[in-house]
Amino acid sequence: MKCRKTKQKRFCRNCTVLFKPLFASVLVLLFSAVLYAQSDTVTGTVTGSNGNALSGVSISVKGTSRGTFTNNTGSFSIVASASDTLVLTSIGYTQQRVSVDGRTTIAISLASANKELDQVVVVGYGTSRKRDVTGSVASVSGAELAKQPVLTATQAVQGKVAGVQVIASGDPNALPVIRIRGTGTMLAGANPLYVVDGVINDDIRNINSADIVSLEILKDASATAIYGMRAANGVIIITTKRGKPGKMVVSYDGTVGIKEASNLVNMAGANQYAGYINEASVYYGSGDSIVTQSQLQNGGNTDWYDEVLKKGFFQNHNISLAGGSEKINYFLSAGYLADEGIIRTNDFKRFTLRNNNDYKITNNFKISTILSYSRSDIRNVDLGAFNVAYRAAPYVIGMQNGKYGNTSLSNNVGNPLLDQDKNDNSGKGDRFQGSIIGEYKPIRWLTLRTSFGVDKNNFRSLNYGYKYENVGPDNVFLTAGSNQLRNNSQLTLEESQGNRWVWDNTATIAKSFGVHNFTLLVGTTAEEIKSNSLGGRRINVPESKDQWYLNAGSSIGATNFSSGDKSTRNSYLGRLNYNLNDKYFLTATGRYDATSRLPSGNRWGFFPSVGAGWVISNEGFMSDQKLFNNLKLRASYGKVGNDGIPSSLFVPLATQNLPYFFNGAEILNIRIADLADPALRWEVTTESNFGIDFSLMKNKLSGTVDVYNRRTVDALVRIRVPGILGDPNNEYITNAATFTNKGIEMALNYADDISRDVKFNIGANIAFNKNRIEKLNGGQAIPDGGVGGQGTTTLSDNGQPIGSFFLWEVAGIFQNAAEIAGSAQPNSKPGDLRYRDVNGDKLINAADRVFQGSYQPKFTYGINGGISIKNFDLSVGGYGTGGGKIYNGKKAARGDFRDNIETSVAINRWTPNNTNTSVPRANVNELPASTYFLEKGDFFRINNLALGYTISANKLAGLKMQSLRVFATAQNLATFTNYSGFTPEISNGGTLNGGIESSIYPTTRTFAFGINVGF
Amino acid sequence: MKNIIIKLGALALLPSLLMIGCKKSFLEVNPQGETTEVLALTDPEAATKLVGGVYNTLYFGGFGNTTIGFLWVLANDIASDDADKGSTPGDFGDAGQIDNFTATSNNFIFNNIWSGHYNAIVSANKAIDVLDKSTLEASTKNRLVGEARFLRGLYYFNLVRFFGGVPNITRVLLPSEGNSVEAQTRATKDQIYGIIVADLEYAAANLPIKGEANAQVGRATKGAAQAYLAKLYMYQKNWQKAFDNSLAAISSNKYSLVQNYATVFRERPVNGQGGINNSESIFEVQTGINLGENAVSPLFSNGQGPRGRGGWNDIGFGFNTPTADLANAYQAGDTRRDATIIFINPTAAGNSAGTVLFDGFRIPSKDSVENERYSYKPYHSALTESPQVSNNKDTKPKNIRLMRYAEVLLIYAEAAAMLGNAGEATAKLNLVRGRANLAGSTGTIANIWFERRVELAMEQDRFFDLVRQGRAGQVLRAHGKAFVDGKHEVFPIPQAQIDLSAGRLTQNNGY
Repeated sequence: MKCRKTKQKRFCRNCTVLFKPLFASVLVLLFSAVLYAQSDTVTGTVTGSNGNALSGVSISVKGTSRGTFTNNTGSFSIVASASDTLVLTSIGYTQQRVSVDGRTTIAISLASANKELDQVVVVGYGTSRKRDVTGSVASVSGAELAKQPVLTATQAVQGKVAGVQVIASGDPNALPVIRIRGTGTMLAGANPLYVVDGVINDDIRNINSADIVSLEILKDASATAIYGMRAANGVIIITTKRGKPGKMVVSYDGTVGIKEASNLVNMAGANQYAGYINEASVYYGSGDSIVTQSQLQNGGNTDWYDEVLKKGFFQNHNISLAGGSEKINYFLSAGYLADEGIIRTNDFKRFTLRNNNDYKITNNFKISTILSYSRSDIRNVDLGAFNVAYRAAPYVIGMQNGKYGNTSLSNNVGNPLLDQDKNDNSGKGDRFQGSIIGEYKPIRWLTLRTSFGVDKNNFRSLNYGYKYENVGPDNVFLTAGSNQLRNNSQLTLEESQGNRWVWDNTATIAKSFGVHNFTLLVGTTAEEIKSNSLGGRRINVPESKDQWYLNAGSSIGATNFSSGDKSTRNSYLGRLNYNLNDKYFLTATGRYDATSRLPSGNRWGFFPSVGAGWVISNEGFMSDQKLFNNLKLRASYGKVGNDGIPSSLFVPLATQNLPYFFNGAEILNIRIADLADPALRWEVTTESNFGIDFSLMKNKLSGTVDVYNRRTVDALVRIRVPGILGDPNNEYITNAATFTNKGIEMALNYADDISRDVKFNIGANIAFNKNRIEKLNGGQAIPDGGVGGQGTTTLSDNGQPIGSFFLWEVAGIFQNAAEIAGSAQPNSKPGDLRYRDVNGDKLINAADRVFQGSYQPKFTYGINGGISIKNFDLSVGGYGTGGGKIYNGKKAARGDFRDNIETSVAINRWTPNNTNTSVPRANVNELPASTYFLEKGDFFRINNLALGYTISANKLAGLKMQSLRVFATAQNLATFTNYSGFTPEISNGGTLNGGIESSIYPTTRTFAFGINVGF
Repeated sequence: MKNIIIKLGALALLPSLLMIGCKKSFLEVNPQGETTEVLALTDPEAATKLVGGVYNTLYFGGFGNTTIGFLWVLANDIASDDADKGSTPGDFGDAGQIDNFTATSNNFIFNNIWSGHYNAIVSANKAIDVLDKSTLEASTKNRLVGEARFLRGLYYFNLVRFFGGVPNITRVLLPSEGNSVEAQTRATKDQIYGIIVADLEYAAANLPIKGEANAQVGRATKGAAQAYLAKLYMYQKNWQKAFDNSLAAISSNKYSLVQNYATVFRERPVNGQGGINNSESIFEVQTGINLGENAVSPLFSNGQGPRGRGGWNDIGFGFNTPTADLANAYQAGDTRRDATIIFINPTAAGNSAGTVLFDGFRIPSKDSVENERYSYKPYHSALTESPQVSNNKDTKPKNIRLMRYAEVLLIYAEAAAMLGNAGEATAKLNLVRGRANLAGSTGTIANIWFERRVELAMEQDRFFDLVRQGRAGQVLRAHGKAFVDGKHEVFPIPQAQIDLSAGRLTQNNGY
């Protein structure tokens, strides 16, 4: 811990500045505690709204550590001074504060709680009543999440929260892409920050949904700014279960089901294919048959998607026990999830173990531990090989008698079945997450908390390519020849480790002065993230899995590699909550943040926010109205940052190990040419939010409306630099863009218990977001989204959403020579696509490209409902998006002139006899990028439909069970879309090139049965 | 009470005390496993390695940014009457446009040549900058500066012939200077020639003579600098200096013609003749075999190799195919014809001989091969010449002959002829002809120009030579190309670079 004098000096300056206010506020509060005096005994009774006596109500004197409970008759007695305030708390009732006002006997009536408002939500570094929240925070219960047969909690959130776009993938091991309130960055990470039990991380695939109590999504700056530098994309907080004092509860939940592709693409059959390709040969080539009659006669009629897809088995089992005593609470759970996916050879298994305990050392000192371990085991599929199923010629037989059809002879693609069989790309992950938390309440209004969390993630990947031959006695093909072969088996092993620790220290002071209630949180956090990997590659490793070690291979050509990364963060944070009489609320937060990822001069940033809330329904003038049970206005404004960039982007690096041969010997050299921006700074998003929460009709109907404006300045972009600067890529990353996300979100819920046996609820939400690049200050428009040989398809430019498609616009099909003669495409033939000559210069070139919208949906919406009738319960959830575009990249990119086409293309192609069509004439070459390949990405999907039956408790008496429910569920039951590809949810693009469908895992549909048992 | 307050105060302090450990250095994290510029320069060998890094820029090639690599080769040869684009008709339209003189400033090949050369020039500037500040012993330092300046001069010579006047970048620029008026204003052609002369004169003065202790094979030598000076002065029609410099290289007696022309381009000597770094080689890109297979000019060999139509394991992309015009240019008995061009035999009944190359590799007859002729000089034999680590055809370790003694003789001959020394012109011309098994002729300018074509064919000289000789339009139009006088003598400045300079960079005439 020695630091040099100069450094220490500098540090101390920082620290002093920061801690001065902290000390000041602590001291003020400490002294105020001393000012109280003169006490008397106050007695009283507590009743409920219908006049019945309430027992077990907690009564405390505000600002002191004195407290008591009501007895069976609802009576209590407590020492309090004339000016004190009593605080009454009881589960199911609204907390009430009563001023003693010199009385010695007080009768108090408690109102039943408005569940919605008194619900506790988790916010950054603490919890809050929903009522107190001035920002935009949405909460989803763990029970809701665990209901769906999916890997991650965030996937289950899809459609449940307004303004949260969840782009799911069918890949069993996928982390869904999440966009909260639009695309908030171009180059820095666009995913939200995940905080699991206080530990910040970026991957939650290790978290078993069954272990989750609640998942909170913080959307606006008032809620997120406490996370400062990483809050720009919103924050998702996950809280896992803990035990409660009382009897041990053991529960088991199990689900088993079958998965299949929910949408398929129909490819042309052998004859259709041959007809199309040979017709194109007449148009473009010699007219000779490209696909010959003998090829058709000797071949088959293969549906390659049938060949490479499968129905996969899905199962998920969770067992947990929870309970506790006065001193110790425990929660222990184990989970096993297995998902075979729907692509042949794909497989995924995950085992999770969690132990969350609380130890009450003394009345005011508590230690908690959170320990979680997960093991994952995956065999991946090469989606490139999957994509080949789109291209492979259908007359080639997939596989017969153990030999493969030779697709490299037909159209120069590898046989996808062979690719699947002859490559083993698998991995095993071990991840340990743990925190230890100490919480000390030296006095009633002060909580000191320290939490140290670690996240250790090890992954071992193995990639084995089998040797196979395409000629000779060991030929694996039905027909010998061409270019799909592997002369040497090849093994690549890589061990990677991720390590991070986070150390949070906070002090929370909660004090009330009459109707003024304050909560002040101050804290510091430090964090270190390290990763490294070590691997090697060898050839000629034997096929037996027992031999899959590097030593078993040839040392000739052996390679090894190792790399690492490290970054650190250090922050000081504070939050002040002020509540005046439960009517007026104010939240101010600030985080002074530093990251090693920015140069020292720009490293520290201050991210403040302020939020205000007004519960109008608590005002006196509202007491006569019957319409609103709750009406609250919220407004907030704040700044958040984004440091999701590679660790040393600002450091100019030397390129090492550049070889040159002198005197016939290799000499390794260096070159210093890479440009780096030494003045890199934060991406800063300034966000304002205005919201209304309301409930009507005895709280049956509740809703929320939020309007926001997020403006991101200094966004990082890659800008091209003049060649004379000599940068190898002629580009560097700098802060040079400004863009906005503006939107409105609405959610409505209606819940009613019609009778004791019939209850229902229905909810709907919708969010509109408009993303727009305001200014490319110093930067240039950024082309991206390259597809095959078509070049780029997107351009991010001023006035457009990020990643907008920029394409020629198809204006029909040339029907005859006369149309062509006067057009900008004089070399066209009838049946060709006609492009709009935008500038009328009789040329179709780069200047005729036009913005065509972006992959970003203009709106997203969800519908959720449930009904229970006696022992039956039925729930349904749906999700949809509108206004986004998808570029059908797999259709656009033709790798070979003999690639297959979709059935619809073959059937609807223009011919002299079929002129009323939008599909051009048979064509074997790659068409240029145009709107012909651009489709609407709108869809609505029934995400989940579940029907359950709960066996009545009286029938379980003999079975030693507390509860038993059986259910059937369907995930992604039906998708309504006009998009012609595998899925309108494109999860594999970046911010600048999203929405291009190519090599994507199809969306899956799951049918499953399960039981929930409690012992 | 007081006691409690102290206790509480201490506790409230606790979190902040814990963080006192946060040294400033906690946030100073060096890149892991990467060498920063600062660290790299602390290496005592840094200056030497930086110069080595400039040599490494000779490998820039493939379809990417290039110096003397594949795209440079292709653009220069196919612009001339020596070669066509090759491959299949529809393949690589950007190259096709250069072949037909329809290329616009948006053609990516121009941008990659521009960027590759400046990347290399900037790395030379950086090396020179570091060397100037280094404490190396003077002779070593001057030699290393000389090598860096030699390469910089060579690159500017390429740029000025290809684009005309270009921005003069001879010092290390800050990123912010990237589109300053000073940096982006094109120097005149003569100013650029001035830079090259200064660089090459410095190199000639400070580099060792071939064979001296410091003259490792592969490094630039005095002779190389003199040869390029001679060539440069020839382009400037400064005949006396062209003569003097070529004479200096010749009279060093370090170079001689290889008797068997074909072996000049082989990797291994044949009967003691030719092979890499042979007696005729004055400056040559050194390649070699290493694990990374990155000590090569990617695609140089494979890009120009014979392209199949299926049915055999072909050896290239089939670009840069010699024209019939070139094949017909050789006089009867010229041994250089078959050493320069691989002729694909027509398919005829009963003829299955195909074309057998020097290493025994058999190329099938025409129906299995895309084009009729291929360039032989870049051919690298996987069978007999330095087998690679893998079978990657794109990374064949083929040395590239950039300056040969034969060319110095022809420069000398031309300068001598221009200076009225017909005897010397004829003598040196006939040395070159004699090696090709041809009878002597007289050293007229026309004969020397003709000899340059056949001697240096497919070595990226012909197009610049025609422009220099002032007859590019006449020759190339006769060859059927849409050459426009006053425009096509140089290629367009890449539009992307003009855009990036905010218009400060000006376009060449006619583009």
